[in-house]
Amino acid sequence: MSSPHGRVAMNMHRRFPFVALAVFGGLAGLVRQAAADETPRPVSAQQAEFFESKVRPLFANRCQECHGSDVQEAGLRLDAPPMAIERAGDPVIVPGDPGQSRLIEVVRYQTDVQMPPDGKLSDEEVAALVAWVDMGAPWPAGSAAHVETMDERMARARAEHWAFRPVAAREPPSVKDAGWCANPIDAFVLARLEAQDLTPSPPADRRTLLRRATFDVVGLPPSYDQVQAFLNDKTPDAFERAVDRLLASPQYGERWGRHWLDVARYADTKGYVFTQERRYPFSYTYRDYVVRAFNEDLPWDRFILEQLAADQLDLGEDNRALAAMGFLTLGRRFMFNTQDIIDDRIDVVSRGLMGLTVSCARCHDHKFDPVPTADYYSLYGVFASSVEPDTEPLIGQAENSEAYAQYERELNERERAFTEFRDVKYRQLRRELRARAGDYLLQVAREQTPQAAGDEAMLSLGPGELRPQLVRRWREFIEQSAADRPAVFGPWHAFAALEPDEFAAKASQIAAGLPAKAAAMETNRLVAEALAGQPPPSMLDVARLYGELLARVDRMWDEALEQASASGAAVDRLEDPAAEELRQVLYGRGSPAVVPVERAQRLFARDVRDQLTALRRKVEELKVDSPAAPPRAMALVDAPSPTDPQVFIRGNAGRPGETVPRQFLAVLSPADRRPFQQGSGRLELARAIASPENPLTARVLVNRVWLHHFGEPLVETASDFGLRSEPPTHPELLDYLAATFVEQGWSLKKLHRLIMLSSTYQQASSERAEAAAVDPENRLLWRMNRRRLEFEPIRDSYLAAADRLDPAMGGRPVDLWARPFSPRRTIYAFIDRQDLPGILRNFDFANPDVSNDERPRTTVPQQALFAMNSPFVLEQVRAMAARQEVAGQSDPEHRVQALYRLALARPAEPPEVELALRFVAEQPQDGTTKLDPWEMLAQVLLSTNEFIFVD
Amino acid sequence: MTNCRNDSIVRGCQPGGLSRREWLSRSGMGLGLAGLASVLSADGMLPSARADDGYANPMAPKQPHFPGRAKHVIHLFMNGGPSHLDTFDPKPALEKYAGQNLPMENLRTERRTGAAFPSPFKFQRYGQSGIEVSEIFPRVAESIDEIALVRSMHADVPNHEPSLMLMNCGESRLVRPSMGSWVTFGLGTENQNLPGFIAMCPGGYPIKETENWQSAFLPGVYQGTYIDTRHTDLEKLIQNIRNDQVSPGDQRRQLDLLAQLNRRHLDQRGADAALEARIHAFELAYRMQTEAAEAFDVSREPRHILDMYGPGVQARQILIARRLVERGVRYVQLWHGEGQPWDNHDDIEENHRRLAGQCDQAIGALLKDLKQRGMLDETLVIWGGEFGRTPTVELPQPGANAGKVNGRDHNHYGFTVWLAGGGVKGGQVYGATDEFGFKAVDNPVHVHDLQATILHLLGFDHTRLTYRHAGRDFRLTDVHGEVVEALLA
Repeated sequence: MSSPHGRVAMNMHRRFPFVALAVFGGLAGLVRQAAADETPRPVSAQQAEFFESKVRPLFANRCQECHGSDVQEAGLRLDAPPMAIERAGDPVIVPGDPGQSRLIEVVRYQTDVQMPPDGKLSDEEVAALVAWVDMGAPWPAGSAAHVETMDERMARARAEHWAFRPVAAREPPSVKDAGWCANPIDAFVLARLEAQDLTPSPPADRRTLLRRATFDVVGLPPSYDQVQAFLNDKTPDAFERAVDRLLASPQYGERWGRHWLDVARYADTKGYVFTQERRYPFSYTYRDYVVRAFNEDLPWDRFILEQLAADQLDLGEDNRALAAMGFLTLGRRFMFNTQDIIDDRIDVVSRGLMGLTVSCARCHDHKFDPVPTADYYSLYGVFASSVEPDTEPLIGQAENSEAYAQYERELNERERAFTEFRDVKYRQLRRELRARAGDYLLQVAREQTPQAAGDEAMLSLGPGELRPQLVRRWREFIEQSAADRPAVFGPWHAFAALEPDEFAAKASQIAAGLPAKAAAMETNRLVAEALAGQPPPSMLDVARLYGELLARVDRMWDEALEQASASGAAVDRLEDPAAEELRQVLYGRGSPAVVPVERAQRLFARDVRDQLTALRRKVEELKVDSPAAPPRAMALVDAPSPTDPQVFIRGNAGRPGETVPRQFLAVLSPADRRPFQQGSGRLELARAIASPENPLTARVLVNRVWLHHFGEPLVETASDFGLRSEPPTHPELLDYLAATFVEQGWSLKKLHRLIMLSSTYQQASSERAEAAAVDPENRLLWRMNRRRLEFEPIRDSYLAAADRLDPAMGGRPVDLWARPFSPRRTIYAFIDRQDLPGILRNFDFANPDVSNDERPRTTVPQQALFAMNSPFVLEQVRAMAARQEVAGQSDPEHRVQALYRLALARPAEPPEVELALRFVAEQPQDGTTKLDPWEMLAQVLLSTNEFIFVD
Repeated sequence: MTNCRNDSIVRGCQPGGLSRREWLSRSGMGLGLAGLASVLSADGMLPSARADDGYANPMAPKQPHFPGRAKHVIHLFMNGGPSHLDTFDPKPALEKYAGQNLPMENLRTERRTGAAFPSPFKFQRYGQSGIEVSEIFPRVAESIDEIALVRSMHADVPNHEPSLMLMNCGESRLVRPSMGSWVTFGLGTENQNLPGFIAMCPGGYPIKETENWQSAFLPGVYQGTYIDTRHTDLEKLIQNIRNDQVSPGDQRRQLDLLAQLNRRHLDQRGADAALEARIHAFELAYRMQTEAAEAFDVSREPRHILDMYGPGVQARQILIARRLVERGVRYVQLWHGEGQPWDNHDDIEENHRRLAGQCDQAIGALLKDLKQRGMLDETLVIWGGEFGRTPTVELPQPGANAGKVNGRDHNHYGFTVWLAGGGVKGGQVYGATDEFGFKAVDNPVHVHDLQATILHLLGFDHTRLTYRHAGRDFRLTDVHGEVVEALLA
């Protein structure tokens, strides 16, 4: 691997062992070299080591963004040894003399120029620089004279990095033990084993195999009868048929859909939203869409298109696929910060679908991968040009019931309450904004310090106060008015141009000239009259006179409206054109007194805003809580006019940089990359991702599928296929799977089948010391990995053992922990990302805040406490022991056998029967135990490792 | 923004309950192979775990980068923003301008403020150091010589949510692990029968709720365990800690049978660290039931200790904190109460007096109690909020301060946090705000600097306590933070 800042090129055309530099910090400091000493000083190994470990990374991380190969602020580069050697005073670096080195001065923040500007280096880092200068600023010969540009990095990534190279159809290698190979997967695996003199493990026994396959595909245990039937099925294709049966089961979608929900950071809440409704009313429609897509084996490329742009596809009659866009929309809401919401969407799309960490490029070019910041903002523009419609689109048919009708009435009622209140407050606000135009003009005249943009959002002010964002708008309005409304504001600008000490003298001259200008129609007559009559002593008086004039015109308009309404006539302007021209200042296009209703929220006083939030919440609550609320899709649509994104320098929205087109990532595009043409470009983005030409998409997907079948992926970092990721353990196999997957129509079910029918998948999981000695982590797949079940199959298995599992699919999320305990499958749990239950955390449930590649696998005592003490488990063991199959047996031994069949789908072996019988025969320790011995035994069986692990 | 330093990952650290593979690929901690050995031997956690592919308890104790002075943290979080001007940062100059505008422009805070508002409380000098403390914290003041007051704290914005996130997670908006999660990730914990990171808040959550102690992309086991200390009932404190259906004796019998069945299962399969870890987890869980019950039961304290801490829920939770730390819990965060109790936009005199009255005696007792037990040296006590308050009075506005003109607005430009114990040099004032207490001017300490210092006290170089997530190495202090050397003993 090359260094992150590029490979070391050996073109040492300069061999001076010092840093050579140009002008620094905009000052006169020119570079110097070690003067007349022309002999390059040798760099010792220790010096080189010091430089490479302490100094170069520092330059790379803290300096080169502005002083590197792409940008040379003040002409200075800190990425290479001398580029130019000039004579001058104030040298940047004086080898051997830190005290004379400008570099050291500025990093110490001792002078007016302080570098780096975004934060001082740590003392340790400064000390390293001082030490380096002190030792003569040695720059090891042969080291990075050349720093790789982004274009070069892209070219290198395409040419050399396995993940960016086209997927190549691979021929399976030849192997010695060809008889072991059930399909090509096995040849790829066996070739690597044989290269290490390893042999695969024998096949798992059939009971184990069926249990493995069943948990894998449907996330539930096989029943005893299913196991028996499989054991008795001697036909050669028995396992194949079992796999097909499992893949056809609707529980398949519930199992594999949940794997995808991990990637999609699925949750039913928005994160922290203060007093607003925190639940998403329709997140579940995305979950149900995913389950259905898996069950119907929706081709993966189509699945991608629907998740990104279902609104732009021809869906025909059935618009349920609109819910697919929940993939984008149901992330955390970050207090409604747009940039963070979009960042979350970019992340889930790029990492989730392509294994690329694009969001690393939000503030600067990606440090390691071929993703420039411009590409981040190209995607940003796609999402910034997509909006959530005010009302989520209905999917399917609303039911025609009384409950639904009542829901609709109630919803309308609540929406009306909100709208009415808002409209009243909005009218008041507009009136106030007009009435106070004079105050704002005064404020502009005072030339108060401008406020930094974006600061005002969190502020709220009382009715008596001026709102900073409006002050800003009036200021801008006045600035524009010189050109836009010279007749009205020409005099303003004439007065404003006067110096304070000459104001009194010159103001009367200006005032005196106004009547003539009015006569020539250059100046508004009313303005001229107001100012000429009594020359203003100061600019503040000018502003006051304008304010009074506007107030007068506003009163005239009120009267005109009243008269019109009394007489039934329509009125659209004031008769006096001069008055009408002034009225336009308050009512016309671009007037700061005109605020569209959707932007008025921020201008309301705090108490009004609080009431509005409460009323809005009532609407949202009904959508979440009413069983009659019909399902809707958390969809996106394109904004009416798409945005051309601007790069935010260092990720700061307050510092917009160059404009970039909405387009796909350069590294994955042909040389003649073209900007997206249609609307936001979301559909084009989706097509570029879901393309067979995209080297990442299919590879990432087959690796995720492999991960869930084997417990370990082929590529270690399942959501990061970038330059720093570990290469696949079996690169040819990965490509074979990806190519076959695409060839077979992006069908997941065919992929599962291929994998599960391999001998590799069907190996036993037992330990083999001789193989473990060579490959302790089983990266070469000499056996199947034993796996602890995730929380969902664990909880579902408890319900299955108790015969309480509800096969119902889909619908609103359920509270798993409310009593009576829900018998629904765990995938239907209400997931509160703000308050994830401790038990889910303890079982390593997927983090609902970020796209997950792989759940951690921890073993902590809280998991045991759940099995030992949780009311949910205790309820299930009671139900299990009460099942007819158990309770109906009068013979204790038969009862033991029945419990084993229900818990572990197998008969108890003689020693197990003996242990169990002894256990139930013992007297309870004291009278407080409320479970009977059979229930206690049932609990033990449901706590065993055998129950929780899959071999 | 995020930490994108390209230092290579130091290998050979914890295997954790994660597979070792995962640890190796993610953890950036500079722990040597010695760290690994220590985990495997710690507390007999994993009797026969293999060092090369084993599973181990992710909470097992670990060595930091260098020997830390502090082993435990008690973070007393005065949520809502206590006024530094009324507690630990006296400003007599405010008297001179009482009721008038300050001779400086009021800094821009969340809401509009008006005239200078001198503290209604008296300050007096305490201890050898003679540091001035307000009359509302007399018992804390008795230990002032153990305390380092940082009077020059500053944060980024005058709003609760981002400031809470900054103080707890080092980042205002994005989802990042909390300090307690980082510390337990880095150090593990010393008592496997109790959670390693506990967040206590009586009555419900503070603002921002569980995000304050989130583990974000760190494994979920490092998230703070929330405990509502309004309850005294153990079941309500820790989930599934008790079984009301099976007596302890019968449960023991169940576990004995379970162990036999699991052992049989294991023998049929050969060595497997994950299977063994789960066998062991049941034994830990069994012990946890009694240990946790005991730890949270303050009635086991002798009378004189109970009297020393005083009455009330604050006293109880602060005493619980000491009992937890005593038992090896790594990080305890104590919140004053639900919502933001210290957010006194109005009636600050009455409210601050009441709030301080609820915790002063117990905090004072905690410092003395830790000291007399010899625990103060290894326990870092942190006191503070997410920001301070303005020296100027908040102007009335509807829906905010009920029309009253007797409170202070948020102030992130300057505020006080104090540290005690755990390698902190006590009896000192570090840094200062301006003449009126509006802004930190002398030796300003940003929140990231405070965090760097706290991690340093625990034995970490804050730039090297990293975790690989989504393609990059993250850390608590992002790309910022400098250790404040003067605070170290």
